[in-house]
Amino acid sequence: MARDVTLASASRAEWIKFRSVRSTVLGFITTILLTLGISALITSVIRGHWTTMDPLSRLTFDPVSTSLGGTLFAQFAVGVIGALFITSEYSSGSIRTTLAAVPQRLRVVAAKALVLTVSMFIVAEVLSFVTFLMGQAIFAGVVPTASLATGAVLRSVILAGVYLTLLTLLGFALGLILRQSAACITVFTSLLLVVPIIVFLLPQSWQDAFSKYEPSALGRAMMSTTPPSQMFTAGTATVILVIYVAVAAIVGSILFLRRDA
Amino acid sequence: MLKIEHLTKRYGDVVAVDDLDFEVTPGVVTGFLGPNGSGKSTTMRIILGLDRPTKGRATIDGRVYAELRHPLREVGALLEAKAVHPGRSARNHLLAMAASNNIPSSRVDEVLEFTGIASVATKRVATYSLGMNQRLGIAAALLGDPQILLFDEPVNGLDPEGIKWIRDFFRTLAKEGRTVFVSSHLMSEMALSADQIIVIGRGRFIAQGSVDELTADVAGSVLVRSSDQERLAAIVRSRQGTVHDRDDRALSVGGLTSDEVGEAAFAAGITLYELTPQRASLEEVFMGLTADAVQYASASTEVPRGA
Repeated sequence: MARDVTLASASRAEWIKFRSVRSTVLGFITTILLTLGISALITSVIRGHWTTMDPLSRLTFDPVSTSLGGTLFAQFAVGVIGALFITSEYSSGSIRTTLAAVPQRLRVVAAKALVLTVSMFIVAEVLSFVTFLMGQAIFAGVVPTASLATGAVLRSVILAGVYLTLLTLLGFALGLILRQSAACITVFTSLLLVVPIIVFLLPQSWQDAFSKYEPSALGRAMMSTTPPSQMFTAGTATVILVIYVAVAAIVGSILFLRRDA
Repeated sequence: MLKIEHLTKRYGDVVAVDDLDFEVTPGVVTGFLGPNGSGKSTTMRIILGLDRPTKGRATIDGRVYAELRHPLREVGALLEAKAVHPGRSARNHLLAMAASNNIPSSRVDEVLEFTGIASVATKRVATYSLGMNQRLGIAAALLGDPQILLFDEPVNGLDPEGIKWIRDFFRTLAKEGRTVFVSSHLMSEMALSADQIIVIGRGRFIAQGSVDELTADVAGSVLVRSSDQERLAAIVRSRQGTVHDRDDRALSVGGLTSDEVGEAAFAAGITLYELTPQRASLEEVFMGLTADAVQYASASTEVPRGA
């Protein structure tokens, strides 16, 4: 007797679906180009201006998070990859094929999340290391550089990849909740860009209390070797971001279970 | 065996399906006939576990869809609304379905060949014509070689050759002992392709039977041409019959059998040129049965003119 519809078979199906549409390929290319391109731009500009920078900036300079700066732009691309993986099923109607093949809806969510996590984690980690090494190569000789031999540096580079992976899953969870690509991308972008602007308009004491909870602030904390005092430590920031993703995924899964397809 | 058991589905205040209760048996083509918006697609979606019924259930050999171990191997479905990502190729679409139900990928090539889309299988579905999309839907339904097949409005978008093909195809599937459940709003199509017909309107069960049984229930009319049409019409009316003039100088008599009309004419000394019992067409039966149940009825066929 053949095996049942397991998480493994559902994941194989989701992997075929994930790699067989252009939007996935384009999303990954955009992620790679943004991360490498913006990071190259930032590091080159700093190298060119290093001698004219003020002493305080030079003293607090973090060669690690600066070289990973492109990640904070690529986060929009990875969110779209995650969101489209589910919203395109609704816009095309293929969600009906998916659920007719695998009626256990939580298994569908788990299979999709697994495919997203594994593929994005591999790409994002390789990308983070390449970006970091590229940045240090650009800095070399002029700007102080960092080495992966230092524990905190290695942690920052790894967490940059983890950050992108978690944001992909956040986009996916929002997609489960909202079901529409446009709505989902709008909300995702607002969370990353508009919320910080609103927080910026609040009184200073409130800013200090709230701004460290913004997803992009958590990302900066994860990527820096020594986060500033008003930010969370890298470990705490990672945990908080995981909680965000988990809450969104649980809400999305409950809605996915209850709604008609 | 597909069983619909007291199925009810409400969307807010709208009752899409209202206490439907029937069985679809293997070995015959069962038509599911109703006007647009009568709840056919909703019923199909509930069978597949896509929509949750408000009350009742649909079972496949006693189990609801979510309990099937390999759903695609037990139930195949062609859904009316497109259910394919336009950016994916037909082959990848089917490969993903096959992977989820542990169906070998060689089966994908088989169904692609069978439905005649193997040559375009690696092209993006967005480039397909309506007919090619239908063929892909049929390929997807057959993928798991299931015993129960659901087709929601399958002839939409098919050319006459394709329609002929799909009718024969339904017959073949039924002859193999499978359960074939085909929805349509076209009674003429159902009359040709279905052995058993279930008629619904506004989500409610209206009638079930073979084409012959459904048409036999409705009294037919008698077509008469004679030497004295006016006198014959008067006689028919005096015997409580109804008379409609037809364009070709014939009378359409209702309420009397052909025997009664013939005897009446003979007694009155009228010569009959033609006396033809007219069976009610499935179309007339359908219109009669669903007259109250059409959701979006048109007032007339006259196109409103602007001022």
